[in-house]
Amino acid sequence: MKPFDVIVVGSGLAGLMAAATALDCGQRVALLTYGSGSLPLASGAIDILGAQAPDVAIKSLPAHHPYKKIGLKALDAATKFFCEVTAQADLSYVGRLSAQIPIVTAVGTLKYSCLVPESMDASNLINKKKVYVVELKGLKDFYAAMLVDNLKKHFPDKIFNVAKLDLDFLGGRDITCMDAAQLITGNEQTLADGLKTLNATDEDAIIIPPILGLEGNTSRTEVKSQLRAQIIETTCLPPSPPGIRLQRAFIKYLQKSGVRIFESSKVVRGVVEGKKATGVVVENAVREKVFPARKIILATGGFYSGGITMREFDNPIEPVFDIPVFFPQGEDKWSNPQLFSDKPQGFAMTGIFTDENLRPIDEHGKALFDNVHVVGANLGGSDFIFERSAGGVAIASAYKSATV
Amino acid sequence: MSDTTKAIFTGDRCLSCTSCMANCPVMAAIKDYRGPKLVGPAHGRMHFSQEDIEATLEYCSNCKSCDRACPSGVAVSTLNMLKRAEYYKTHPHTKAEDMLAHGEDMGKLIRKLPFGALCANLGMDFGKALGIFNKLGLAGERNMPAYASTPFKDLYPRIKQTATGKKVVLFTGCYINQNEPQVGEAFVKVMNANGYEVLIDEQFNCCGSPLVVTGYFDEARQHADNNVARILDWKRQGIPVVTPCTSCSLMLKEEYHELFDEHDMHEAATNVYDAFEFLEILQERGQFNDNLTPTAQKYLYHVPCHLKCQAIGLPAANILEDYLGAKVQTADAGCCGISGNYGFRKDKYDISMKIGAKLFERVKQKDFDKVISDCGTCRMQIHHGSGIKPVHPIEILAQAY
Repeated sequence: MKPFDVIVVGSGLAGLMAAATALDCGQRVALLTYGSGSLPLASGAIDILGAQAPDVAIKSLPAHHPYKKIGLKALDAATKFFCEVTAQADLSYVGRLSAQIPIVTAVGTLKYSCLVPESMDASNLINKKKVYVVELKGLKDFYAAMLVDNLKKHFPDKIFNVAKLDLDFLGGRDITCMDAAQLITGNEQTLADGLKTLNATDEDAIIIPPILGLEGNTSRTEVKSQLRAQIIETTCLPPSPPGIRLQRAFIKYLQKSGVRIFESSKVVRGVVEGKKATGVVVENAVREKVFPARKIILATGGFYSGGITMREFDNPIEPVFDIPVFFPQGEDKWSNPQLFSDKPQGFAMTGIFTDENLRPIDEHGKALFDNVHVVGANLGGSDFIFERSAGGVAIASAYKSATV
Repeated sequence: MSDTTKAIFTGDRCLSCTSCMANCPVMAAIKDYRGPKLVGPAHGRMHFSQEDIEATLEYCSNCKSCDRACPSGVAVSTLNMLKRAEYYKTHPHTKAEDMLAHGEDMGKLIRKLPFGALCANLGMDFGKALGIFNKLGLAGERNMPAYASTPFKDLYPRIKQTATGKKVVLFTGCYINQNEPQVGEAFVKVMNANGYEVLIDEQFNCCGSPLVVTGYFDEARQHADNNVARILDWKRQGIPVVTPCTSCSLMLKEEYHELFDEHDMHEAATNVYDAFEFLEILQERGQFNDNLTPTAQKYLYHVPCHLKCQAIGLPAANILEDYLGAKVQTADAGCCGISGNYGFRKDKYDISMKIGAKLFERVKQKDFDKVISDCGTCRMQIHHGSGIKPVHPIEILAQAY
């Protein structure tokens, strides 16, 4: 096997973004995956930071925060490139770093995010007169009445209507949003006809679960063009169509240019000469195989996805390159027993510290490798979930690591 | 490798994240199948402890897309196959299942008759024309794989090879032996060009894959025990076992151990190689014969599901590109849908064609010189669905020596 210019390990948001960016820089790229990556489980919205104006708030983050290493310039370029990639798959995103866009969750709460699929953008809900919430017979995990109860709290002056459509989903298994999206693909007219019976006007909105296909905006365009009211998709339980659309948009972008994607390929260690990595070792059922590369981007997903493991307490390990892992010492700082409180979780800060080029550093701040970069949830020093920065850190760290 | 790799233990690693559902081609094709998460790890916890039958278990094609999607290493499809085995302990097999599982026995029988292959092929043509396939529960829309006039094991003694001291054993698998012996001949030519003499071992059985997927578990175990003993015997002599069939290699390398959990199965597996995996290892050691006639041809490569599972990269694509100068574009259209004998069943034919539709569309674009694929049944399905007949990449390489 000839060496690749770049090997990306991991196919979550950070891995896909790193591979796409490297490809865009003219590199010959390989993507090694173990499991399909987390996007089919995700909302499809990209959280940058839980603040009214993330671009301003980022400036006052502590120096060890990943955003401080990445910089606003790279974050800005990353969001633009992200939108280019998705646009190529006819999946338009809206948003900017200086504001938050509301999206409606499946239970009728509002979630704010910087970069959201156009189909979920609920910014205009505030200007609508009537809001129709549509439940589909046979579709599980979507209850329009509950959604309305909760959404009313945000919009007490609106007229809410619950509508039920039968799109012939019954017979067979319980239908998830993913199943519905698949069944609607190619049969958009049935849904459009159903929604037309609501007689909603251009002053109204129709809220539906995310069922408008699994690829780009094809199904949405088909339905939207026949209706006057704005259609808004909610989030849903996994498998999540908006997340799947995002994953497919990236994979399509990579495959179109011949990026090799190697599935089931669990990377067990790096091949290192001095400060230079020359490849990674994949372990299969019976033997090992070396995948050679000039540069390696480690997007293995941190604590939640096996990118960092901890068999003994106070001894977290990065298993591929044995990179030192930061963690908050002492059991008392480790966790906050109030899971849903407004305080972060100590353990969530666990991760790898890097230099400004996302290369892992030792305790003196010196880069451990010339050509190994660490991105996404592997990065330490912030609680991504609590501060709602996982998506932004993923795309920005990936973008920067692939462009330096 | 620890004992916890046995499929039945991996079910407890399932977090119910639904990655497998998002990647299951059967779920995408029909709404009857309840999907890998529920049928595999979720129901699996009950099934092995009490009698309970998941009615939609029959829909799993064992393509292993779920295994590849799983972030936690759950052997989802093998859990399904183990449960299928449980089911058939108390339920009879259909005639179609019997026939599809026992292709090897059928082949042996036919070869004993004068003009057996010819008659069998004619018989299959008539059978199809007269609608007998349908009555038997086989997909009447499809040709059954035609028997070659001479099976590979009878062609083999006629091939002149020079003894070089370096040897490999070719595990042909049923399809190459009975239906496409030219793939075996191409393999011998390639290995000879690389200084290896190719041996065959007539004591090998069918790898057992068709038996596992149709629930003939005890027979599959007998095949495994026999094949593992033979592979270990070759291992003791320092001779690797190599196969150009990716479903056979997956069974020998990984599935025996997952299904039956015997340590010697894993030990035997370490002596088994996919054909191009072996060639790429030669290349990495500087022992690959690169004296090849270059080609400017462009190949569309359908990577079989059972190759994707093996975590060996894409050695065929690398060798054809790096040493032949060919352009290899992967089809990237997912599972072909046939999945061994799944698509040959009358009641699974439509599902199989629906799954393969994206690949057929891709192939019909005809922006290449040839379609290549390492798997025999994938090649049959592509031919059936698109009218374009693919070849094994080893045939391309053999032509260049």
